Amino acid sequence: MLIEIAQFLTILSTGLFFLNFLFAFFFDSSDRHMASLVSKVYTHSSLLLATSFFIYVWLAVSDNFSVLYIAQHSNSNLPTFYKITSIWSAHEGSMFLWILFLVLWGALFNFVTQNSQDLKVKSMGVISIIIVGFLLFLLLTSNPFETILPIAPVNGADINPVLQDPALAIHPPFLYMGYIGFVIAFAHAIAFMVEGNPSIKWESLVRTWSIAAWVFLTIGITLGSWWAYYELGWGGYWFWDPVENVALMPWLAATAFIHSLSVSSKSSSLRIWTILLSIIVFSLSLFGAFIVRSGIIDSVHSFANDPERGLYLLTFIGILIIGSMTLFSSRFSMLSSGSVIKTFSKESFISINNIFFGVLVFSTMLGILYPLIYESIYEQKISVGAPFYNAIFVPMAVLACIFLFFSIGAKWQRKLVISSFVNSISISVLISVFLVLLAYKLLSIHGTWELISIFAGSIIIVRYLFVIWDYLSNKKYSNPFSVIAHIGLGILMISISLNNELSTERALNIKINQSDTYQGYQIKLTDLKLVKQPNHDSIQAVFLVTDPIGNNFYLKPEKRKYFARGQITTETDIHVTLLKDIYITIGDQLKDGSWIVNIQFNYFIRWIWFSAIMMGFAGVMLIVSLNKAR
Amino acid sequence: MKFILRTFVIILPVALISFFYIYINDNDYYPGADYRNYDIPQFELTELYSKTNISNEDLEGTYLINVWASWCITCRVEHGFLAKLSNQNIPIIGINYKDEREDAIKWINKFGDPYKLIIHDYKGSLALDMGVTGAPETFLISDGEVLVNYRGEVNNMIWQDVFIPVITKYELFK
Repeated sequence: MLIEIAQFLTILSTGLFFLNFLFAFFFDSSDRHMASLVSKVYTHSSLLLATSFFIYVWLAVSDNFSVLYIAQHSNSNLPTFYKITSIWSAHEGSMFLWILFLVLWGALFNFVTQNSQDLKVKSMGVISIIIVGFLLFLLLTSNPFETILPIAPVNGADINPVLQDPALAIHPPFLYMGYIGFVIAFAHAIAFMVEGNPSIKWESLVRTWSIAAWVFLTIGITLGSWWAYYELGWGGYWFWDPVENVALMPWLAATAFIHSLSVSSKSSSLRIWTILLSIIVFSLSLFGAFIVRSGIIDSVHSFANDPERGLYLLTFIGILIIGSMTLFSSRFSMLSSGSVIKTFSKESFISINNIFFGVLVFSTMLGILYPLIYESIYEQKISVGAPFYNAIFVPMAVLACIFLFFSIGAKWQRKLVISSFVNSISISVLISVFLVLLAYKLLSIHGTWELISIFAGSIIIVRYLFVIWDYLSNKKYSNPFSVIAHIGLGILMISISLNNELSTERALNIKINQSDTYQGYQIKLTDLKLVKQPNHDSIQAVFLVTDPIGNNFYLKPEKRKYFARGQITTETDIHVTLLKDIYITIGDQLKDGSWIVNIQFNYFIRWIWFSAIMMGFAGVMLIVSLNKAR
Repeated sequence: MKFILRTFVIILPVALISFFYIYINDNDYYPGADYRNYDIPQFELTELYSKTNISNEDLEGTYLINVWASWCITCRVEHGFLAKLSNQNIPIIGINYKDEREDAIKWINKFGDPYKLIIHDYKGSLALDMGVTGAPETFLISDGEVLVNYRGEVNNMIWQDVFIPVITKYELFK
């Protein structure tokens, strides 16, 4: 009964959202009563959908295995927490969550803004029709409410073991919040172009929303990277997996977008860029959903499914993207500000930045498309991997850093006078050259691009330290968010380079109570235990590791066998130090009784995530300050 | 310049969407379907009920191999369609995948047996050699050669779109 109620509420809310779209677009949106009607209808339809989702959560928690999806992805032995997260462990449920977030972003926006705010009614209309598109997709092609009646199974098939992990439980929600959060900016861009009144400052209306979405996306990607590192046992932080790439593209475009926004919300220059980028960011988010859910690309993330889904999504996002681009093209002259951007002004540097990000997005897209095009022409499968992306990303990132370096201190609408920064620029370069030489001599880093990247990262950090110094001693204002985020970028450049050059790994064969040494570390296999858990058995190996100074610590990697699906997983164990992770996994037992033990020293990997968190943190601070100023 | 930009922003997404449209509508594209041909691997396992040995020699002619398990919920959903195929005199060999013998037999007793025989693959070794990623998975095999493989639930739509074209092409089940 509950299942039918939930499904009915979803269908009902679909109808109401569609009605809302009609109200917003085909009636006079400047009418006060109409505006309040749109707002109220939206609130009610989102309540219906949220209720439906909460019923669904309840169905999962109460082990209602007559729901096909819950039977396929949950199990009565799971802790309640994983019963809930099992909802987004596969296609139908995660699509439901995606829609819930879409609805919630709109609801939050609806709740905190006045009905009289410019563009609000039309933006709500755009959001509503996007919700309708996704709800129809859910109900027609991927219905999470489908039942197995009359005989429901006694128990469910269990969530995939690698997904039984706290990081994964929150990684998809963060990502979805990020992807779909850009709907507010997109809806406003569309509403702005439809209204056709260039005096409306749409940019300042969406700034907080867009930065919030960007923060979610940044943290979501970082969580995914961290999860793949320790749970999948991949031992690295980024793999250019197609689905990582479809998350990276909106992130790159969004980064360009929020930079552009900061320009356009002050003066109306770069407006064309900002509008275009807002469409591109959202389109890339939708494109990501299409790539992942159509099963076009083989990846750890892909959901096995039928082509109807791909076709539906493609048609839907095709209409949205081509429609908004056509609108953009027809409003081109309205959007051109006519103001000329001065060379070496802050705006000019941000435009250059946009071009860099554009190239990176385009190259990533090419990396995804190339195997598909190749396959349709030569009927052979190939894959594009790290060498391609490194060849493009590394030089582009270095160049972008150098432009950023020279842009520090640039002013809005005024030409930057480099001569006033000669001291800090030259000292930053000198210090960085010195650091590079140190890296070369002491850490024996010999890769050309690694050295160049260290240089690029360090000039930014040192230059910003000057800015901070200037602020502390002369009270010279600087934008603290930009300082923190960009120092994060500098740390990212350096830690990626060091990680790439210094990290090592080795497979050892160790028998019980025997030891082996690797890079001055003594590794002794002291014990093997069979640990019984409610839903899996595990073999736990206990290693006593002695570091070169003589400190001891234990590492306990596992191999698990999950009962429900018979799946075997390896669990890594990691000893974290300031500079490196000691990362250990166990493989199979050999005929002579020894175990294959894989040990990795991953340098500066924590710093990579730390730098991403710094960027996200800067975003959060910026949101707080924007709302205080209001 | 403006004109070029104005047309470019429309042409690029149209090209992209059309590419994917053609790609999806291409016959070869079916998520889960794999049309590569290869010989079924050598194996030596036991039959589920009788525990007698089975190897490649015991399989001949044209038949389907269906990988299933009692813990697999999708297999239950698929089961009804397999019964229909079996009624049309299409021989189906089951591979019981990573399952306890008793659980599997109980399951068959409850939901019916559309299989000509069932290979008990407790360790999943045969399935691994055949490239199985999970249950259910279905293979169409003729004279020891895999003609098409489908990962996921086979239903009427999949049967019509994925299997029937191959069956017609090789003139099987005549």
